[in-house]
Amino acid sequence: MAKRKKKIIIVGGGLAGLSAAMKICESNAEVIIVAYQSLKRSHSVCAQGGINAAIDSKGEGDSPENHFYDTIKGGDFLAEQPLVRDMCYKAPSIIHLMDRMGVAFNRTSEGHLAFRRFGGTLYSRTAFSGATTGQQLVYSLDEQIRKYEHDGMVQKMVWHEYLGAVLDSKGICRGAIIHDLRTNEVFTLAGDAVILATGGPSQVYAGSTASTVNTGAAATMAYMQGAKYANGEFIQIHPTAIPGRDKLRLMSESARGEGGRIWVPKRADDNRDPLNIPEMERYYFLEEKYPLFGNLVPRDVASREIYDVVYNQNLGIGGQPMVYLDLTHKSKEFLQDRLGGILDIYKKFTGDDPKVTPMKIFPAVHYSMGGLWTDYETDSEGMIEPKSPRNQMTSIQGLYAAGEADCHYHGANRLGANSLLSCIYTGLMMGPGVLSYADNISQSADSVPSSVFSDAKTYWRGRFKSISKMRGRENPYKLHRELGEMMMANVLIVRDNKTLDKAYNSISDFETRMKDINCVDSNDWANPTPSFINQLYCMIQLCKIITKGALMRDEFRGAHYKPEFDLKQPKDFDPHEYIHYQEQLNFGEVSADAFPKSHLDYMKRFEANNKKWLKTSIAQFKNNQPNITYADVNTSLVIPRPRKYD
Amino acid sequence: MAKINQDQAHFYLLKINSLLGLVPIGVFLAFHLGINSLRTVGPLQYQWSIDLINNMPFLFGIEVVFIYLPLLLHSLMGFYIYFSGKRNVVHYGYPRNWLYTLQRITGVLIFGFLIYHLGTTVVPKLFYGKHQFLAAPFLMDVMNAEFQTWTGRIIYLIGISAATFHFANGLWGFCVSWGIIIGRNAQRNASVVFAMVGLVLTVLGFATVLEFSLDPVPVTPTVGG
Amino acid sequence: MSQETIKLKIKRQDNPRSKSYWQEFEIPYQPLSNVISCLQDIQKSPVAANDLGVDPVIWDCSCLEEVCGSCTMLINGRVRQACTALVDQIEKPIVLEPMSKFPVIRDLMVDRNRMFRALKKVKAWVDIDGSQDLGEGPIMSDHIRATRYTLSECMTCGCCLEACPQYTKDNSFLGAAAFSQVRLFNLHPTGAMNADERLEEVMGKGGIADCGNAQACVEACPKNIPLTDSIADISRQTSLKLLKDLLLK
Repeated sequence: MAKRKKKIIIVGGGLAGLSAAMKICESNAEVIIVAYQSLKRSHSVCAQGGINAAIDSKGEGDSPENHFYDTIKGGDFLAEQPLVRDMCYKAPSIIHLMDRMGVAFNRTSEGHLAFRRFGGTLYSRTAFSGATTGQQLVYSLDEQIRKYEHDGMVQKMVWHEYLGAVLDSKGICRGAIIHDLRTNEVFTLAGDAVILATGGPSQVYAGSTASTVNTGAAATMAYMQGAKYANGEFIQIHPTAIPGRDKLRLMSESARGEGGRIWVPKRADDNRDPLNIPEMERYYFLEEKYPLFGNLVPRDVASREIYDVVYNQNLGIGGQPMVYLDLTHKSKEFLQDRLGGILDIYKKFTGDDPKVTPMKIFPAVHYSMGGLWTDYETDSEGMIEPKSPRNQMTSIQGLYAAGEADCHYHGANRLGANSLLSCIYTGLMMGPGVLSYADNISQSADSVPSSVFSDAKTYWRGRFKSISKMRGRENPYKLHRELGEMMMANVLIVRDNKTLDKAYNSISDFETRMKDINCVDSNDWANPTPSFINQLYCMIQLCKIITKGALMRDEFRGAHYKPEFDLKQPKDFDPHEYIHYQEQLNFGEVSADAFPKSHLDYMKRFEANNKKWLKTSIAQFKNNQPNITYADVNTSLVIPRPRKYD
Repeated sequence: MAKINQDQAHFYLLKINSLLGLVPIGVFLAFHLGINSLRTVGPLQYQWSIDLINNMPFLFGIEVVFIYLPLLLHSLMGFYIYFSGKRNVVHYGYPRNWLYTLQRITGVLIFGFLIYHLGTTVVPKLFYGKHQFLAAPFLMDVMNAEFQTWTGRIIYLIGISAATFHFANGLWGFCVSWGIIIGRNAQRNASVVFAMVGLVLTVLGFATVLEFSLDPVPVTPTVGG
Repeated sequence: MSQETIKLKIKRQDNPRSKSYWQEFEIPYQPLSNVISCLQDIQKSPVAANDLGVDPVIWDCSCLEEVCGSCTMLINGRVRQACTALVDQIEKPIVLEPMSKFPVIRDLMVDRNRMFRALKKVKAWVDIDGSQDLGEGPIMSDHIRATRYTLSECMTCGCCLEACPQYTKDNSFLGAAAFSQVRLFNLHPTGAMNADERLEEVMGKGGIADCGNAQACVEACPKNIPLTDSIADISRQTSLKLLKDLLLK
């Protein structure tokens, strides 16, 4: 019997989707890429700073093991260690691959790859391509896919939206329900596997750096169809964003990586031009508090410090929630070469030139560490089994997730320049596994009863028909804004249970208001409103996951900061003490005078807290609510220990 | 030689067209204006040059191959180019876009002018036998008559300036289209040089017109036909 | 307190076959507004200036920070990205129209597929052996990298083509964006191995020789890509190839 040609549906045309597509195309399978928009437009293009790989080109003694450790520590030990280790070890080959594909990575004078330093590490391990690394990476993958398209191996289905998976009677994913965003037709696509590379959900917040398409709807739909959604409460707030009305634009971490300094005037009422404020009267709060890492502390730390300076110490510039990010001490030529792209963006959107005057910035919602829970398989040595069909599979058989839509790589907080890596890594890594899954499924999509597909189609056609007919009083776009503002006000950097509880209850108000929605657009051609209403419905479910997850997690970990449960690390505490403490515990007895009492108490608190909370939170859709349970994290490789960056 | 397909033919034609504008048409224009400007030195000098040209061997063949056919092809391609684009200088009034637009407009103007110019200077040639035709006095008469009226002068001033502009700007276009000048600086510097070339040719042409207008001297044949 | 407002005049079209029509909107002024936030405000309250409820205006956008290339439109008659069009910096009333060189899908949304087809035609990719680990990429000077980087910032937004007098709805001109990509890939050590194939694709109808050097492309490019350098450079490469093919083959 001739071997059947495998058919894989990939949803999303960003880094993860395109890398998966490339890998799968190489094995001669049929690939369909479903994307909301033309392929060069995905949100991955917004990533500015770079992509991490411990190539150690500067001879600093960096290694993938260090990269692995930094990532795990940066993520406050919540990341899945075998996966992260594999990612960090594959990172150098990923960079070399991208380089071979023509990414214009910056070079050294000898023509090798240049690397810069980024947050959360002491090594220069971030390869970068000007100030638009994400864009450059997406383009080069898009180009490879264009080659495959030219050779007839990929079908691009752009201007189409994924609505959900087609599940058979056993709950196995057999294809996808697709919505043509121009004709507004709903139809099904049969496939051996469906990959969701649909990005993050930051649009649930009103002040985010996300693209307009990042609603998280596809992942939420998978969750409502039974997939587990993990670590939803871990939302990264990027410390440096440019204020704006339609969105907050990112000011890349590379601005700090290249020497940018964060400060506020020491006096709250100091309204002088920043350039006229003498050095003595500036408060470089990150440098003062964290002498070792300085301005390059991880994002969660920087965001909290800015929040603290602005809201608790009331030192925001001109009383507003803003601080200075200053690059004016660097030469214009240096800035143009290293950061030209992002500095131009600042100038374009504010009218001020950052080469001349310090930028005003404030934290903004940036990334979701959480996402669809995915599986993986390790071999006898604890490395990832490359061809396992379990790799990156969600809890729905045949439905896969990659990129920001998954959950295992960044723990409680993502390090800068690791997201591009995790997108490409997951996309490439899952390819062989998806194919071996497709090879081994007992029943191909073609032999599934056609009613499975027609039922799904009927359901979704009916749903869109009824949405289109809604003529209530609520404008969906306004409602979305309000939902986002509610999330901004209540589920952001500093969290407390009273507010979270209130927020969780208020989500049901939004649900009620959803019933009274007005489908404001009556056109039956290229009408985005019904689709947006459906996404808004998903976003409400997502807000519940995030808020309930945050409410239930009574601890301070990474991006999830609840002051009430801060373990209050003693100032002179050294994380190594904890390792000695663990060693002593393993020997049996901790001698009473081995550690200062306050340290010992802290370590005991830390240990107890980890026992309870060092777990992946898993949300499952039950009775229209997220049912949250906790699963163990694989910490077999690095012992979880207190984080310290000063 | 391998057969060429439609795409290649299209490319070759445009490349040849670009080349034709320089040689022979551009070169001819420069010589034409240069030689005619001998009129400013004196009628006799002008007459000699015309006689010299008109007594060249194989003149008809040379004219057809090096002037009329290239002009015809350049005109046909010119109209094709004219209609292949849509001028938009109203919305995008950048200097180069203006030059692009003027290049096309002058092309059309020159085409009209040439019909007139050839119609009054060359076509009559066809009605005389070579032995009866005395080029210099005939042309002098035609020109003297032309430049007695403002209509004639204006037609020629427009024709000459359109041609010199089209040539000078075309030289620049030729250099860019053939990849001789690439960088921004090179392109800017070249445009200054070519503008000078255009200016010199315009001055030559205008001076000739002026001389004819001010001093319409009739001539008698110096050399027998 | 009298409230300042922003007036917008928008050219609308319900579908690709229907006729276009103008509609006016008036929305409250807010600081830090750009054209996108105005359109978002209209979405939130889709009422035309004559108090008539209308369908919200449809437009393309995604990143809102000028790297995705989606939100290209004509603003006050000229093509640009809507996200960088700050209300404080542009003339009012703000006149919005869809790009004129591409088929309108609806309102301000157009179909720029022709640009992506052009990228496919000119083989805008580096032909690699595969994604398996084959070690380091080719060594390249940072100088070449810098040139390639500026070219590679092209986000297929279409501004260069909209401003180009030679690019029309009914011809097959490839346009500056595609030529610049040919240069980008011919500059790469591995990409250069297929340089001739790319050049062949631009040595035909709609190819590099059709360029009239109006250089409006480079003026309109929001990313300041040296498109005219690319055009001249590809002209040189094709001219050399032409001579080589004629004389040396």
